[in-house]
Amino acid sequence: MAPANAATLAISNLTKSYGTVRANDGISLDVAAGEVFGLLGPNGAGKTTLVKQILGLLKPDTGTITIGGVDAVADPAAARLLCSYQPQASAPVDGVSAREAVEIVGAIRGGSRRAVRERAQVLLQSLDLSDIADRTIPMSGGMARLTGFCMAAVVPGRVVVLDEPTNDVDPLRRRALWQQIRRLADDGAAVLLVTHNVLEAERCVDRLAIVAGGAVLAAGPPGLLKAQLGAPLRLECTLDAEAVIPPLPSGVTQAARTGRRLLCSVQHSDVSKAVAWAQAAQANGMLTEFSLTAASLEDVYAKWVDSQPSAA
Amino acid sequence: MSAVRGYALLLRWQLLRYRKQVVLFATIQVALGVGVIFGFSFLVPHVTPQVALYFATGAPTLTLILMGLTALPQDTAQARTSGRFDYIAALPVPRLAPMLADVTLWLLIQVPGTVLTLLIAWLRFGIALHIGVLVVPAVVLVATTSAAVGYAIAVALPPAATAQVASFVSIVLLLFSPINFPLERLPMWLQDIHRGLPVTYMADIMRGGLTGHYGVNAMLAFTIVVAWCAAGLAVSARAANRRG
Repeated sequence: MAPANAATLAISNLTKSYGTVRANDGISLDVAAGEVFGLLGPNGAGKTTLVKQILGLLKPDTGTITIGGVDAVADPAAARLLCSYQPQASAPVDGVSAREAVEIVGAIRGGSRRAVRERAQVLLQSLDLSDIADRTIPMSGGMARLTGFCMAAVVPGRVVVLDEPTNDVDPLRRRALWQQIRRLADDGAAVLLVTHNVLEAERCVDRLAIVAGGAVLAAGPPGLLKAQLGAPLRLECTLDAEAVIPPLPSGVTQAARTGRRLLCSVQHSDVSKAVAWAQAAQANGMLTEFSLTAASLEDVYAKWVDSQPSAA
Repeated sequence: MSAVRGYALLLRWQLLRYRKQVVLFATIQVALGVGVIFGFSFLVPHVTPQVALYFATGAPTLTLILMGLTALPQDTAQARTSGRFDYIAALPVPRLAPMLADVTLWLLIQVPGTVLTLLIAWLRFGIALHIGVLVVPAVVLVATTSAAVGYAIAVALPPAATAQVASFVSIVLLLFSPINFPLERLPMWLQDIHRGLPVTYMADIMRGGLTGHYGVNAMLAFTIVVAWCAAGLAVSARAANRRG
């Protein structure tokens, strides 16, 4: 974990309520320069409320936010200067071309005309947007989201907040997008990445926090959180639509069930029992398919979020 | 980033956004002005020189006020719904810069309509216009005051309610405000209300700027409109700086 004094973004004991609903409940986290910090959580976990407080759009009830040593609660104008942002909704690109949108935001964020133009070209090219960069026709959801990323990255703040940057983006461009996100951090930004895309985020984040019910449930590097699972393997099953799950053998524990998808944690010593159980269930028509793999961040996410009484 | 540069860049962004609709918007402005001149003539069969003067000068005043109180709040409400409002609010620009950029955009869109409306009024009624330099601050004040109030409405109300309120305000302005007719035509109690509101004085400074004749003391009218403009901007600034 990065030492607190190295944090570019430091949030301490943040609370925010809407009426009787506590959207953020004592959140503390820090993100260092050069780090990609993932913020994972279900819908309604309080992630967007947290982001809006960082950007100075909402005022916390209690707690502190400092960005590069500046009190962002007391000085929201400084927060806006120090943060660049890709919103969860599509960035406002209606009526303008991708290049125009990126270059205008770059200029607003204080970049020189030449530097902004060159950086915009690099970003658009790296995300394979060159062919459509100068068109003013309405963009698809994925194109608008990629353009939104370029708008956040053209003159990045010391903190770059990316809210669901990969939604609607096709697989090849998504891969390029993850590289650019990583590069932002490598160039010195503190990147706060809000995402539902747990599996892909695992390859990009240095540390992460799992948020649900407005509170941080777990935080740390992905490897450490996975180690805390206590089970290094996972059994993933696709159930028959009508199936009742047969009793699991000892050493195999259910981690999560979403629709027909069942995730179980498995110890190394219980691999043979788990496979035998799955093969028998498949033979009886209860499973359509199964796989046994190393535990992932998704298992960590499922463990923590499913433990919440209000989780979806 | 200077405040002026932030404003100029937001204005450029808005101009680029609306470049394909500018002709349509300007045409609507012309149609609105022409509609007021010819439409009101149906309501008033015998157009005297005084009535003609009110129609000719009232039309651009009304379109300026409606721009601030209807077009701008509806655009702002749409921006709140789409997320554009929050996106712009998260950029390092002065809080009132987005509103002022919008006012400028709509003013620019109105210029051709206003000029053509005056030309048509001149042809239709044969009134003599003496356009003075004071028409410039009059236009800016009327547009900014209306926009500041309209912006405050759009930020204070839920987006779905903004269009309803804007429509209601438009009808009240059209029928019950002394823009296209003299204040004295209204019942005494409504005259008293209007003496405290800016609309009468907005119409006066516009009429004075276009004809050289002010219905009331020009200094008084400008002072009252400036006071309302300052109050409107203060409310808008407060709304723009408010963090929930």
